Amino acid sequence: MKIIIVTGATRGLGLAVARQCIADGYKVVAVGRTMTEELAFLLQQYSECIDFERYDFSDTEGIHLFAVQITKKYGRPWGLVNNAAIGRDGVLATLHERDIADLIKINIEAPILLTKYILRPMLINRCGRIINVSSIIATSGFNGLSVYGATKAALAGFTKSLAREVGKAGITVNTLAPGYMETDMTSALQGDRLESVRRRSPLGHLATVEDAAYAVSYLLSEQSSRVTGTTITVDAGSSC
Amino acid sequence: MKEKIINIITEIASDSGWEIVANLNDDTVLLESGLDSLGFAILVARLEEELLLDPFTMMDEPVYPRTLGEFVKIYENCSS
Ligand SMILES: NC(=O)c1ccc[n+]([C@@H]2O[C@H](COP(=O)([O-])OP(=O)(O)OC[C@H]3O[C@@H](n4cnc5c(N)ncnc54)[C@H](OP(=O)(O)O)[C@@H]3O)[C@@H](O)[C@H]2O)c1
Repeated sequence: MKIIIVTGATRGLGLAVARQCIADGYKVVAVGRTMTEELAFLLQQYSECIDFERYDFSDTEGIHLFAVQITKKYGRPWGLVNNAAIGRDGVLATLHERDIADLIKINIEAPILLTKYILRPMLINRCGRIINVSSIIATSGFNGLSVYGATKAALAGFTKSLAREVGKAGITVNTLAPGYMETDMTSALQGDRLESVRRRSPLGHLATVEDAAYAVSYLLSEQSSRVTGTTITVDAGSSC
Repeated sequence: MKEKIINIITEIASDSGWEIVANLNDDTVLLESGLDSLGFAILVARLEEELLLDPFTMMDEPVYPRTLGEFVKIYENCSS
C-alpha cells in the first residue's frame, strides 16, 4: 500500500483528502493536533488504511525527527499533502506581530521543513508526489488576509522551484488552489460577504472540500506523472 | 565510512546513468565527481537512512563540504 502523509487531516479539507485517499487504496498517515469525531470514525472504520500521528507544527525544531520517525514506522512515503494551515484574519495595520509570526511559521516554514525531510525517502525511491495547498487568495487577494495570502503565495512559489529541483528524480510537486469552501477556517465569513463570494462563481455555488479532494486524488495518481510545477484551481470558477 | 560513501555514490550514479570520475579520492571536488546537486541530496538521504544520522542538520552553522575528504570527515566525526 502506498503511504500518503496528509497534514491537517483532522477536519476540513485535510479530512476530505484522507477519506478520498482511503477510497483510492492508499494508506493514510493523518497528522494534526486534535482528534475529532470524524477522524476517529475513519480510524475505527478503516483501521488498516489510516493512522493518526499527533503533531503541532508550531514546533518546527521537532519536524526533522518527526519525519524520520514517520518514515521508519510506515516506510518511504509516496505522497505528501501539505494542507495544515491557520487562517487568522485581520487588517495588517492592527494584526498582532505574534499572529504574523504564527502564520509564517505554520503556513510556510513548517511545510517547507516537512517537505525537506519527507523528500529524502522519496529521493531514494526516485518517485513521489508533493502537493502544496495554497489558495486562490494567493493571486487574487482578499481584504484582511494579506499575511495569510503572502504565505499561500509563498507556498505556490515553493512548488515551482522544487518541481524543477526534483523532477529528475521522478517526483512531482504541484499546488492546489481552492476557492472558498465551507470549513472551520471560513466559518466567520457569513451573510452578505458569503453571498458575494457565491455570486462571483459562474456556476452559482461554491466548491466543496470533496471537489478539492478529487483534484488531490488526481495529483497523487500515477496518471499525473507528467504534471509538475503547476496549480490546479478548484473554486467553482470564481476567479476566472 | 569512506568506502561506504564511495559505494553509495557509485550505486546512485549507476542507477541514474551518471558517469563518475574514475579515481574518487579525498581531493575530488564533490560537484565535479559526476554527482550533481540532486545526486548529492540522494547521497545524504541514503546515508541518513543507513546510519540514522544527518550531521548537517545537527550542526549549528550551515556547512557545505567541497571535497570528498571533507564530506567523509564530517560523517566520521559525527558517528564517532
Ligand atoms: N476553507 C477554505 O475556504 C480554503 C480556501 C483556500 C485554501 N484553503 C486551504 O486549505 C487548507 C485546509 O483548510 P481548511 O479550511 O480545511 O482549514 P481548517 O478546517 O481550519 O483545518 C485546518 C487543519 O490544519 C490543522 N492545523 C492547524 N494548525 C496546526 C498546527 N499548528 N499543527 C498541526 N496541524 C495544524 C488542523 O488540525 P488541528 O487543529 O487538529 O491541529 C486542521 O486539521 C489550508 O491550507 C487552507 O489555507 C482553505
